[in-house]
Amino acid sequence: MTKLINTLAIAGLTGTALWAGAATAFASSHREAPAIAEDQYVDNTDVYAFISPNNPNNLVIVADYVPLLLPSSGPNFYKFSDNARYEVHIDNDGDAVPDVAYRWTFRSQRKNGATFLYNTGAVDSITSQNLNVTQTYRLEKVNEHTGQTTTIMDNIPVAPWNVGKRSFANYEQVALQAVTTRNGVTAFAGPRDEPFFVDLHVFDLLGVGGAHTTDGINVMSLVIEVPITDIASKGSRPAASDTSPRSVVGIFASASRPRVRFLRDERDWDHYGNFVQVSRLGWPLINEVIIPLQDKDKFNRSQPRNDVANFGAYILDPEVPKLLNLVLHANCAATPAGGRTDIVGLLSPSGTKAADLLRIKINQGQTNTDSHFPNGRALTDDVTDTLLTVACNNGQHIGDGVDANDLPFTTTFPYLASPHSGNP
Amino acid sequence: MHRTLILLAAACACGKADRAPAPAAPPLAHATQADLARDIADAERLGTWSDVAHRWQGQTVRWTVTHRRVLCRSADDCYVAAFPIQRPAKQGWMPQLQFAPGQYDALAGACGGQDPCEVTIEATLSKLEVSPELPTSVQLSNVQILPPPHPGTQTARR
Repeated sequence: MTKLINTLAIAGLTGTALWAGAATAFASSHREAPAIAEDQYVDNTDVYAFISPNNPNNLVIVADYVPLLLPSSGPNFYKFSDNARYEVHIDNDGDAVPDVAYRWTFRSQRKNGATFLYNTGAVDSITSQNLNVTQTYRLEKVNEHTGQTTTIMDNIPVAPWNVGKRSFANYEQVALQAVTTRNGVTAFAGPRDEPFFVDLHVFDLLGVGGAHTTDGINVMSLVIEVPITDIASKGSRPAASDTSPRSVVGIFASASRPRVRFLRDERDWDHYGNFVQVSRLGWPLINEVIIPLQDKDKFNRSQPRNDVANFGAYILDPEVPKLLNLVLHANCAATPAGGRTDIVGLLSPSGTKAADLLRIKINQGQTNTDSHFPNGRALTDDVTDTLLTVACNNGQHIGDGVDANDLPFTTTFPYLASPHSGNP
Repeated sequence: MHRTLILLAAACACGKADRAPAPAAPPLAHATQADLARDIADAERLGTWSDVAHRWQGQTVRWTVTHRRVLCRSADDCYVAAFPIQRPAKQGWMPQLQFAPGQYDALAGACGGQDPCEVTIEATLSKLEVSPELPTSVQLSNVQILPPPHPGTQTARR
């Protein structure tokens, strides 16, 4: 197992794309299940987690939502839903039950309803009066055992959409004014360049060949940088030598909707009831290609602690290598009679319970350079190649021919590239 | 508003009816894991979820299952594969085992150093969660490890 992880780490670090005769690729979790494809604003797309490159005592978590956004998507540009909870859940003791969560809730505002314009003039500041449609959020920390919430920050602006050059002479300068630090937590919410790179032609009968299909596409990002002691078990960072389940945290992001929605003839919708989870994501590609159609919606509603009970047989016996062989003659290894316990091992590092959680070591001494999938996930990690190589399991590196993002990532918070302009 | 209240009242009434205790189902003539999988597949098509749960919960089953050490790490955290590798799997659920006294150790003894290892168990299907909303989960309680069948004995459990 150690050898496998080392191999993965090397593949991730070098970013090499060794073609193995045939290749394929998938979108991490974009429109991956029938029900969530009808509710785009709460569709998880990717989760990233890495030790901060600027402060090794901090963990950075990126949770992306709302897939495959065209930059010129006006007049009602994309945003977060006002009727949803967006959450990042953290298990800090290895039992796959979340202990801590960060929760975002949003509120939209409009200064002038008598125009169709998103902005009524040039925008040079996030507080500009010309910014007609705006959104703010509250960020809370949740004790998942007691349900107790603590507000970390409130009434914080979401970065605006990058409408175009006539609206924003310097978009990024305005967007970065949305970066806020309160109570030791730094946060950003807003549109960014889609950081996931992939050839989506896979869904045309696995027909791929290195097409950069997510170039020029945006996504809605939630980014936080938190002190590791804020999320670690008992508030203390494990020693460097600690290999217990408490030496890693397991992360998944989710979105939830109120249980009841009334559509009214005479006025806007009403929402009632408890929140119901409608989307979740830890590792890339689990619900996309491991879980079959019959269970995809159910996966989104379920909890990681039950993943083995609910979906374990799919993980032991995945469809991907069979398809690769059938359609592309990829010469993948047959699933052994004992099943893919190697994949189960990757989902349960350091003695943790196997689950679809993005796990990352938080020991003292861990640095940004250690944070590569499956130990967390860096923005630059080519997880498609990594997971295809694991799935095919024939000793060869399998890739989709798309090995890097279209735009460079930044070295400062929020680390993601500026979103593409609607009118460059 | 009036119509809404009626609808809500009806929904509450249905919920109560669903939760009413039902008489125990008679023993099933065919209670292999393949029979259960077929019933769940039928429920997916016909919406007969509560019928399936009622029919199966409480049944005594004798199944041959596959034990893997990585998925059965303790007596409190043990899952087994109900089906052999199918390339690919047709259903995702893996029964959770709750052992009768001493039987977790018996499992370890039966498997020895073999991983994975096939064992035949007898147990009560104590919990079956099946619904159109949530994934299937199966809990087997009072699990007893049975001696391996004699060579040539037909197991016919899959």
